[in-house]
Amino acid sequence: MKNVIKSLAAVVALSVSGFAMAEVAVIVHPSAGFNSLTEDDISRIFLGKSKSFPGGGQAVPVNQNEGSATRDKFNEAVCKKNASQYKAYWSQLVFTGKGTPPKDAGDDAAVKAQVAANPNAIGYVDASAVDASVKVVFKLP
Amino acid sequence: MKKISSNRKKNHLALAIALLLTASLATAADVNFSGFLSVGGGMVDDEDAVGYGGYDEDDLTFDRNLLGLQVTGQVNEKVTATAQLIARSNNDYQVDAEWAYLSWQANDSIKVRAGRLRTPFYMYSDFLDVGYSYTWITPPQEVYYLPFNNVDGVDIYLTGTVGIFDTSLQAYFGSFTDELTFSGAIADAETRNQMGLSGTIGKDWWTLRAAYHQADLTVDVTGSPLSATTTIGSFANTLRALGFGNNADRLLVEEDDVTFTEVGLNIDTGRFVAAAEHVEFDPGDALLSKNIREYVMAGVRAGDWLFHVTASKAKDEVSHPETGIPVGQALPVVGSTNVLIGTLQAIAQSQVVERDVLTFGTRWDVTTGTAIKFQFDDVDSPDVVLPTGTISGQQKVFSVAVQTVF
Repeated sequence: MKNVIKSLAAVVALSVSGFAMAEVAVIVHPSAGFNSLTEDDISRIFLGKSKSFPGGGQAVPVNQNEGSATRDKFNEAVCKKNASQYKAYWSQLVFTGKGTPPKDAGDDAAVKAQVAANPNAIGYVDASAVDASVKVVFKLP
Repeated sequence: MKKISSNRKKNHLALAIALLLTASLATAADVNFSGFLSVGGGMVDDEDAVGYGGYDEDDLTFDRNLLGLQVTGQVNEKVTATAQLIARSNNDYQVDAEWAYLSWQANDSIKVRAGRLRTPFYMYSDFLDVGYSYTWITPPQEVYYLPFNNVDGVDIYLTGTVGIFDTSLQAYFGSFTDELTFSGAIADAETRNQMGLSGTIGKDWWTLRAAYHQADLTVDVTGSPLSATTTIGSFANTLRALGFGNNADRLLVEEDDVTFTEVGLNIDTGRFVAAAEHVEFDPGDALLSKNIREYVMAGVRAGDWLFHVTASKAKDEVSHPETGIPVGQALPVVGSTNVLIGTLQAIAQSQVVERDVLTFGTRWDVTTGTAIKFQFDDVDSPDVVLPTGTISGQQKVFSVAVQTVF
């Protein structure tokens, strides 16, 4: 029994440290005319307060699916809302016709594919998923 | 007496439009469905005291349920059509179109809508039915008491950044026709030339709001009983016959210029939440009282739980429909003018609400999209003195609700 608990603890410790180390990268199309965005810029786009990038140009935010650890981390760190608060925030806008939440595009690969295909898109993925098809404009430690 | 046509047909028309919209949208390419549900119940502590919040039994009853479905269709790049259909248990689950409008997004910061809209009276007006989106089961009813929630008309909604602040401005014009309960009787009511302006300014965790509305209000109160044999209508005729036509006019609510003002503050830091609103309704010449209402709420989040406390207050000012009638003058048939004055004062007094409510509540986010809420209201209002006895104005209400969005 003790051993089971010990190994359980080890697994938990591993996964916790693994989670803590996972970086989230905010990505845009490689052709975007800017190389970085501030946390505030990104938060405003994902909360529907701004519909364009700071330098002009329409911004189309894409979310990861609900329940994704990357999504939760992004929402808590950038939008300052946990999953429930984020949902409540958007339901205040959706049911009044005052806003439409970012589309849920899927996982890292799906979000990366959408961003790589759309010059206006902005998304976020686990930093390990980043490749040359997208440009990183912000990193969450 | 101005006759108000029945609103039933209009409601059916709005519903038909909404259903038609739904049907045609269902075949369109870009259609979004979303919905919300609230199942709520409650009980009072003392069945012999005044009811509150729609509850007057000391057994738990689940009769505050509603289901809402919203359909939004993209007509073209800039135009969307939206219908929100709501079925409520306290309306026999009859489906009503509470919103049905076309929206034209002129550019990133200007939106124009036409159709049936929610009137932006309050901070939470827009999502009043979507309990999941806020803290309480329903917002404090001392403040959220107006019987008209919707307006048929047009509005313009502007959003923008001013300096470092997020701002919005909404202006609308329209009218509404509905039935409401007035002194225990169903009365036809309508607003004409209804218009208003609401604005918000905020930054990160705080938002300030102010709103002003005006309308020509007509409520057919003539059928409201004053006694077994008289109604407000027959009493008004008596006043006219005795030469007090001005007072008869003040007794009736006919195209009276009414105004409604609101200021509010909303705070959400993530850990702490707070909200406060103060509203005033000015009835113009009508016998309705001047409503002065407010609440202050503060809460704290702990994991998936939110604990909140709210103090609400209704302190209405009585109107004086008796002004101008000389005191103690003998009347032709029987009695003196004091009877008329007394009756008018009693009617005006019956429109006054004075109440203090202290509310403790929790919101538990069970999963993303579902919250369970518990609420306890401690109600303190003046005792109601009736010929048959006195009804205590002290009441305690326990209520619970499950609220979701999907």
